[in-house]
Amino acid sequence: MANARSLVKRLKSVRNIRKITRTMELIATGRFKKAMDRATEAAAYTKKISEIVGDLGQADLKFSHPLLEERPETKNSVLLVLTSNRGLCGGYNGAVLRNTLRHVQQLKEDGIEFSLEVSGKRGIKFLNFQQIELDRTYIHFEDRPTFAEVDQLGLRFVDDYIAGRIDRLDVSYTRFDSISRQEAVVESILPLSSLAGDSDTKGEGGNVDYEFQPSPQEILEELVPAAFRAKLFKCFLDAAVSEQIARMVAMKGATENADEMAGTLKQQYNRARQASITSELAEIIGGAAALE
Amino acid sequence: MSEANTGAVSQIIGSTFDAEFPEDKLPEIYNALKIAETVKGVEIDVTGEVQQHLGGGKVRCVALGGTDGMVRGMTVTDTGNPLSVPVGKGTLGRVFNVTGDAIDGRGDVEHDEKWSIHRHPPKLEDLSSKTELFETGIKVVDLLTPFVRGGKAGLFGGAGLGKTVILTELIARIASAHGGYSVFAGVGERTREGNDLWLEMQEAKIGDTGRSVIEQTCMVFGQMNEPPGARLRVALSALTMAEWFRDTTGSDTLLFVDNIFRFSQAGSEVSALLGRMPSAVGYQPTLGTELGELQERITSTSKGAITSVQAVYVPADDPTDPAPATAFSHLDAFIYLERKISEKGIYPAIDPLGSSSRILDPQYVGERHYNIARRVQQTLQRYRELQDIIAILGVDELSEDDKLVVHRARRIERFLSQPFLVAEVFTGKPGKITSLDDTIRSFEELCDGKWDHLPESAFMYVGVIEEAEEQYKQMQAEAK
Repeated sequence: MANARSLVKRLKSVRNIRKITRTMELIATGRFKKAMDRATEAAAYTKKISEIVGDLGQADLKFSHPLLEERPETKNSVLLVLTSNRGLCGGYNGAVLRNTLRHVQQLKEDGIEFSLEVSGKRGIKFLNFQQIELDRTYIHFEDRPTFAEVDQLGLRFVDDYIAGRIDRLDVSYTRFDSISRQEAVVESILPLSSLAGDSDTKGEGGNVDYEFQPSPQEILEELVPAAFRAKLFKCFLDAAVSEQIARMVAMKGATENADEMAGTLKQQYNRARQASITSELAEIIGGAAALE
Repeated sequence: MSEANTGAVSQIIGSTFDAEFPEDKLPEIYNALKIAETVKGVEIDVTGEVQQHLGGGKVRCVALGGTDGMVRGMTVTDTGNPLSVPVGKGTLGRVFNVTGDAIDGRGDVEHDEKWSIHRHPPKLEDLSSKTELFETGIKVVDLLTPFVRGGKAGLFGGAGLGKTVILTELIARIASAHGGYSVFAGVGERTREGNDLWLEMQEAKIGDTGRSVIEQTCMVFGQMNEPPGARLRVALSALTMAEWFRDTTGSDTLLFVDNIFRFSQAGSEVSALLGRMPSAVGYQPTLGTELGELQERITSTSKGAITSVQAVYVPADDPTDPAPATAFSHLDAFIYLERKISEKGIYPAIDPLGSSSRILDPQYVGERHYNIARRVQQTLQRYRELQDIIAILGVDELSEDDKLVVHRARRIERFLSQPFLVAEVFTGKPGKITSLDDTIRSFEELCDGKWDHLPESAFMYVGVIEEAEEQYKQMQAEAK
């Protein structure tokens, strides 16, 4: 019965794991809804503001803002990596970190100096293991990042960029397209022109005629950094939603796997138990028959 | 000797029979009895072996041939001695059955001597105490379950896992490089396999001497088609011939047995007929004694050595079954074939964690070999522990250290496969012989992560580690 006993032990541990994954699935579902609402609300604002900036960038050629200017040569850059603090979310962190590694490799090849800023314990652990030096780490962004927290980073990046300490800001995160589609990407969000380029409002940009009040300069002064900060915040929100979705999907799969495994183990145990009973019976009967 | 001692058959039950002798002339236990008579035009020639004295002048015997056509009242002649088989150099190149008759159709066997198949194991003081590694050129065997020169190795495995293939491979590797004599005992396995082996041995050459392996080999068969009595005694017949080589010529002798489980099984078949009470799982109560008497004789003495490799069938893949469990304790090296590994298509399907060897110890194999073998096992052990988690949560949930362990373990697992000389027709790859130094170095580099960049499939069926890289390049070239 040694075999049967070890089967019981494994069965128990599989059932315990199932309890955890099932709970995580439910929690993720709840959090996902909240994160999703926040992300869609922010999406509308971000989309509009980047539209305007994009239009302005293309429409008004007489004037430009430093955040919109593309530097002729990129010497220093920052790579911001957004991962989760917690695991049990399938390939979510893996995909982001794979992209990050590839990007780091690219930066090294291009000879661009970069500083690495990582949010999330998972990413920090992974990159430490890969022996890649991290310049700043954040672990306080949970699944509900607030604008104030993100803005601290945003303001610093704006200052650094304007002062010329950095020439580019890349963010490696998971973009949220829809519930069924999230993609790990590396996007350049500074200079902002690269952002305007990929917005889908490109075609109509030239047609809109803006009147500036008080003056174009003042409006741009205000609007461009706001657009950048909104975009940065959006990255954090997207990452948070994608994490919850990834966790939901991963835990659902895990629960199903655990169910299946528990079923197989139970069946194996039943068979082992039955086999041992049968053989004992056969021995007793055989022994008794031999004595007659 | 005076007039032959004769009796009469008084009862026949299956493959056992009782014979009646005069009370004062009872044949001794283990004496061979002969029955040669013609009944209704059918010639019957059966040899029996006395197992019990029943009292009242009756003895109970196990028939070493078929009992078909035997009738009560037939004359039984006591030969006065236990069964004996021809020994000596005349046996080389020949094929025998249990009673020592040549069955290869090449006439009589030249011999000066016949030895009784029941002999005493060598005395304690005569046993050899040398411990030396015996290289096979099979990576997984040399690394994890090194064979002992003059020791015993067992190949355990359920049905269809390739025990016979590994055994034939070992014959091809060892016997062809080996200067001494070999004895092969076919116990209760397929007759066809015996025939294949015989033909193969005629073709295989020893080194570059130009002589075929069969000239240094003698084969004894008591296969599936034979009655239990024959299967019960054929191992002893073969062993007796091997003992002659050891004791008389003093050379290193190889003894291959396929399959020692059939010996226990034959014992269990006749046990109930002999009136013994069945013991655990229906085996004979004397299982341990019977096997012990056989195994204790397969040993090396100060005069010469017998290195033996035995296949052991594991019924229903359950190694706790009494027959394999009993055989286990007699062996120096223990190789366990695992169904899960053969299901992955990795051959030889040797379980790297379930197999072991007495000499996998720094004292015998050296610190380096020992440490690397242990590292390989640790990696695979950790991988096995993680397998449930991977099955449920996926590989992404593991910590970075564990991911690396899984990454290497999967490569090590595949690297333990090896193309066989005798399986060339199946795999399409020529067999690879890997020297022990190469094996140790390969696994050391693998554990150190030098080959992490190669894909898993590159490690399947190669010899030294460098061949994995070659295979990878070749795969890439083919993909283009």
